[in-house]
Amino acid sequence: MAVSTRVADRPGFILHSYPYSETSLLVEAFTREHGRMPLIAKGAKRPQSAWRGVLLAFQPLLLSWSGRGDVKTLTGAEWQGGLPMLGGRALACGFYLNELLLKLLAREDAHPGLFDTYRAALDGLAGAADQAACLRRFELRLLSELGYGLSLTHEAESAQPLDPGSRYHYVFERGPMPYSVHGDVARYPEVSGQTLLAMAHEEFANAAVKAEAKALFRALINRMLDRQVLHSRQLLRDLQAFDEPSL
Amino acid sequence: MNPPSSLEELVQALRCLPGVGPKAAQRMTLHLLQHDPAGGTRLAEALKKALSNIRHCEQCNTFTESALCALCASGKRDPALLCVVETPADLLMIEQTQAYSGLYFVLMGRLSPLDGVGPKDIHVERLLRRAGDGVVREVVLATNFTVEGEATAHHLGELLRARGLAVSRLARGVPVGGELEYVDSGTLAQALRDRRVV
Ligand SMILES: [Zn+2]
Repeated sequence: MAVSTRVADRPGFILHSYPYSETSLLVEAFTREHGRMPLIAKGAKRPQSAWRGVLLAFQPLLLSWSGRGDVKTLTGAEWQGGLPMLGGRALACGFYLNELLLKLLAREDAHPGLFDTYRAALDGLAGAADQAACLRRFELRLLSELGYGLSLTHEAESAQPLDPGSRYHYVFERGPMPYSVHGDVARYPEVSGQTLLAMAHEEFANAAVKAEAKALFRALINRMLDRQVLHSRQLLRDLQAFDEPSL
Repeated sequence: MNPPSSLEELVQALRCLPGVGPKAAQRMTLHLLQHDPAGGTRLAEALKKALSNIRHCEQCNTFTESALCALCASGKRDPALLCVVETPADLLMIEQTQAYSGLYFVLMGRLSPLDGVGPKDIHVERLLRRAGDGVVREVVLATNFTVEGEATAHHLGELLRARGLAVSRLARGVPVGGELEYVDSGTLAQALRDRRVV
């Protein structure tokens, strides 16, 4: 029989909530010390529930839960504050981060480093920070936390240092290979040495780096998703239609 | 032992109702068959009639039995104002306030990227056609103050502004009669950020 656990006041975020019964929600939480975990919030759908204004995504919370088995019962959720509610484009970016975590993170697999990265990304999105750079930095660290760290400074086979002026193909799970128009390597995403070296320093300010890094992460993440669709990507793309041409 | 299949089918059908689990569905089924077959017939007929007669208003998309709902057909509302809500229940709540004199558009949902609900599922094209009729001047976005409601308001706001319409959003803050001591921290924090000059 599973041991009953009781955990109090752990830092966490709500990634998404699903209706569970007439009055309860199933909440997917991302906690610092226990990773992603499903929690039943009993009575949270009742009109007078004290949890209504608390169980919101993108807000730092202190969560308590108890129970045995895979799905625990939420026993407390305290609003921590310090992070403005995301609005507008930042909100669409936030959905994208949450969807990545929901689809790529196994349940109850602790990633305290990733939790801190997530918090930093939300801080960046809530402030005036460069939103695209926030997303790219999060993607980079997400991949390395999940064991798919990229090699960004040396060629895969020759171990030669990358040349900023040369072009490469990023071969999945191996690394950069010299650019080629045919052969196996040519099937992989194309990227400049300059972009890879900038990514190694988490430098995403340059527009060309931004565009190439975005395409590379997209290919890498699609592969990890194994044909699951990222719906929030479409929303981001729809909103981009309103960008000024210069952006 | 297999129960008769039409009985089992009715039990299963009743489970589509909110809050009705397998036990309750079985209780309802046996009750109708055993104690109230006339009530069962009335229920079946009312359900069938409602489902075939009720449709969406051509203008505002809410439920109605005619082409236009009573509100859209009334002629007494300000046609330059259009209020966008998520559900017919939200429309009724706003009507109860008697503080709004314009017309409505009911999305019948909200954008929820994590549930795969996109602009096509909330009739955005119809809303844009409706708001672009040349008479509407201002669109009031009255979607919920959830993350999904906010995302919906932002998305619609961008589309409507790009068409030259004035767009406003319901204000949020401390409830009427609210004492600060009892207001939840999230609401209070937002009220401070959204404070206005008086
Ligand atoms: Zn109508």
